[in-house]
This record gives sequence, C-alpha cells and structure tokens, in this order.
Amino acid sequence: MVWFKRSQFLILLCLSLLVIGSMKLTEFDLSKFRDFQNMGDFLSKWFPMNTESLPFLFQESLLTIAIAFLGSLFGLIIALPLSFMAARNTSRNRFVYSVTRFLLSFLRSVPEFVFGLILLTTLGLGPFPAVIAIIFHNIGVLGKLISELIESADKGPMEAMLAVGARKWIGNLFAVLPQIWPNVLSQFFYRFEVAIRTSLILGLIGGGGIGQQLFIHFKTFQYQLVSVDVLLIMIMVIMVDYIGSKIREKVI
Amino acid sequence: MIEFKGVSVTYPGAKEPALADVNITFQKGEFVCVLGRSGAGKSTFIRCINGLQPVSEGYVKWEDKTLSEMTHKETLEVRRKTGMIFQHFNLIPRMSVVQNILTGLFGYKKSYENLLGLFKSSDRLQALEAIDQVELTVEPTRRVEKLSGGQKQRVAIARALVQNPKVFLGDEPVASLDPGTADRIFQLLKKTHVKRNLVSIINVHDVILAKKFATRIIALKDGKLVFDGTPEEFDDKVYADIYNHSS
Ligand SMILES: Nc1ncnc2c1ncn2[C@@H]1O[C@H](COP(=O)(O)OP(=O)(O)OP(=O)(O)O)[C@@H](O)[C@H]1O
Ligand SMILES: [Mg+2]
Repeated sequence: MVWFKRSQFLILLCLSLLVIGSMKLTEFDLSKFRDFQNMGDFLSKWFPMNTESLPFLFQESLLTIAIAFLGSLFGLIIALPLSFMAARNTSRNRFVYSVTRFLLSFLRSVPEFVFGLILLTTLGLGPFPAVIAIIFHNIGVLGKLISELIESADKGPMEAMLAVGARKWIGNLFAVLPQIWPNVLSQFFYRFEVAIRTSLILGLIGGGGIGQQLFIHFKTFQYQLVSVDVLLIMIMVIMVDYIGSKIREKVI
Repeated sequence: MIEFKGVSVTYPGAKEPALADVNITFQKGEFVCVLGRSGAGKSTFIRCINGLQPVSEGYVKWEDKTLSEMTHKETLEVRRKTGMIFQHFNLIPRMSVVQNILTGLFGYKKSYENLLGLFKSSDRLQALEAIDQVELTVEPTRRVEKLSGGQKQRVAIARALVQNPKVFLGDEPVASLDPGTADRIFQLLKKTHVKRNLVSIINVHDVILAKKFATRIIALKDGKLVFDGTPEEFDDKVYADIYNHSS
C-alpha cells in the first residue's frame, strides 16, 4: 500500500463518520424506494401532455430566459470592474481590496430567494424583482470567480503595459482581460444556466415565467401541464448549455 | 543621462539586499550588457531604471530628476521613453501583431483613446513601419500566440520602437531563443540602437554575445557591481571571478 499514508486512513475514518451522521440527519434510507409504485402512478398522470396551452407556456418560457439572461448579463457587467478591485494584483490598495471582497461575499451569502422577498416590498410582484435579485447574487458569484481568474493571470503582460507608460488600470485591463476572457465566458454561461433554475424558484414568490406556471399547475393538480412545463425547462437549459459551448469554441 | 547613486534594493522579508550600493552612470550611445549569475540582481537592476522596482536606499536619476521624487505623470513619461523587452516577450495574447505593437503608444494617448482603440492612421503607419524595421514578415493581423519565439521578440521590439524610446532596456531578451535567432535579435537591437542613438542596457547570460555587441560590460555579483569596463577588459580572469561558485 505504497500510495497511502497512515494519516490518510484517519481522514477516511473522519469522512465515514461525517457521511453516517449526515445520512442520519437526512433520513437517508434507500429501502424507502419500496413504494416505487406510487411514483409510477403519479408520473403516469403526467401523460398525455396537454399541448393546448403550449403557445402561452412557450411565451412564459421566453420570459424565464429573459429574466435569466438579464440577471446574468447585468451581473457580469457590474461584476467585471468590481473583480479587478477585488483581485490582489490589480486592486488599487488593501482598503479597496478588502471592502470589495466583503461586498462580494455579502452579496453571495444572500440567496436570490431572500433578495426577491425583500424586493417584493418595493417592487411588487412580477419578473422585475426576480431580475434584480439574480443580478445581485450574480455580482457576488461572478465577482469572486473573475477576481480569482485575474489573480492567476500571467503577470508578464501587465509588467509590459506598465513599462510602456500606460496608466495602471488601462494596462491591467488590456493585459488581463484577453487572458481570462474564455474562462469568463464559460462562467457566464454556467451562471446563465443556473439563473434559469433560480428563476423557477422565484416563480414561487410571483417572479413570473415558466416557474410560476409550474407551481400553479402543480398546486391545482394539472399534471398534464406540469409535464409540458418540465419539458420546456429541460429544453431551455440544454439550449443555453449548447449555445454556450458553441460560443466558447469560437472564442478559444 | 541615467545615474545610480548608492542604490540598494532589499525585497520584503529578505535578509540580504538584492542590489547593494550600486553607483554607475550611463551616457547616450552606450550599448551596455549586464552579466552575472542567476540571482545576482540583474533583473532587479534593470527594473530600477524605469521605476518598476522602487529602490530601498540611494536614488536613480534621469538627467537631473530623481525617479522616486517624480510625479506620477513624470514617471509615466520616463516609462514611455523607455522601451523594455523581456525574456518571455510579454505580449498580449489573443491580440494581433499590429494591435500589440499599437499598445506601445499607450503612454502617449488619453485613457479613452486607448480603451476604444482610437488610433490615427499615422499611428497605424508607424506600427507598420516598425514591423518593417524589425524585419517581421508575418501578416500584421496574425494573432501573436501563433508566432515563433524569434517572431514574438521582434513584435516586442516593434512595440518598444513605436514608443520612440531614448532608452532600451532588456531583461534577458534572447534567453528563450536558439543561438542563431539570439544573434539576429541582438544585431537588430544594435542596429536600432545606433540608428536612434539610444542608451541600451541589456541583461544577458551569454558572454560571447555580450562581448560581440556591447560597448561596455558591467557585472553584478550578490547584488554588488563587481566589474565595469570594455569588452576587451572582460577577460577569462574576470569571467572566472563572476561565475565562480566557490567564492
Ligand atoms: N519579487 C521578489 N521578491 C523577493 N525576492 C526577490 C524578488 N525578485 C527577486 N528576488 C530575489 O532577489 C535576488 C536577485 O534577483 P534577480 O531576479 O534580480 O536576479 P537575476 O540576476 O535577474 O537572476 P536570473 O538570472 O535568474 O534572472 C534573488 O536572490 C531573488 O531570489
Ligand atoms: Mg532575471
């Protein structure tokens, strides 16, 4: 067993204890699948799909995409400059660095759902508060991810831009952005995909879009519409993933 | 034109200074090669000249102005008249040859002009002329990642040329290149140096190159200036002294 050290067995032991503890807490028990029959019965109610309101649901899907798109794009646009302030190697000073880091982790720690609930009080129901909630959270997430990309960028080009007599922020922008751009794009598309799923949850508090329809149909036992909602959601996620990978291929 | 007076640099946390009490003056027209073992302080020395590395003690003067006392604007001006080339070329990836060369003008332009790429046709012409001068034969729109090491260094030199420099600094500009290419890059540097009457200060590991091209050779050892003379004066004895591990 040349690959293993004694300490690694200790780690394995701790890990096993954690797994057992977590399984207790979550009532993790595969034998519960005995009642598999129930799920089958339930799922069979989903078919045949009710395609009558497909045009309307399609429209709601577009709304969902629009929420997710704006939520991640505006998030990215705001996160980009902030991430330069939150990266050790490009930040103006320690103070700016610490303050932006703190701001980003604060934004990250508040779930979109909570932002949505708070915004409801001023913005009312509808997709707008959903967009803002997603933007806030995405600023936090993308800001952190991009600032880490900036920190690991090759510092050679930055040095060259300084040596040319460029202002620091211009030099950093030109030296760093081309290096990290493909990764930024893939993070963006990943967040876009996540935002689609998030906007479904926000549908629960009146955020609009296909998520809201899903919950309405579910609560009113219209399972043949639920199946249509789910199908549309799956198509959307796969589509965004596909377009994202195509665009990334072009960029690299 | 450039004067070092009692210059020391100690990196944070380091016990020994990387550069210790260096005194030296450079004049227009000198082609200086800096020799020394790895870790002797050559890069630190070069970077003190355009203020990329602040000095811990002493001062560096440009004409009559002390670098550390200059305003931010004056520092930028010093840097834009200093063309610097690096071992790893330090070009901007994903940008074309001509775009990279145009970044050499960043010190001359307003921020918004740089940001939006608002260059005059005379700027472009200047970039194309620089491509000519460095004898680069690739399409100007080619991305720089797709060039060979020698071609990349030519782009870097062209970028330095459009700065319209008074000084050339090189931090081992040929260390990543094969001997033939290294020689041709040095020929190019020397030719430009003579044509524009510059001060050139260049780190090299290759003593033969230094002796072939330099008008003055200096050597560092453990951060101290241990030799300053003509290529002829740099003989085997001096060589042994500088590169000897035992002392
Ligand atoms: N950023 C830094 N932080 C701390 N110490 C440094 C830093 N850069 C260089 N040093 C140290 O300073 C000394 C001089 O380094 P320098 O890079 O100037 O040497 P060099 O002559 O250029 O070496 P090489 O030929 O390997 O490039 C070395 O001991 C090095 O470890
Ligand atoms: Mg060095």
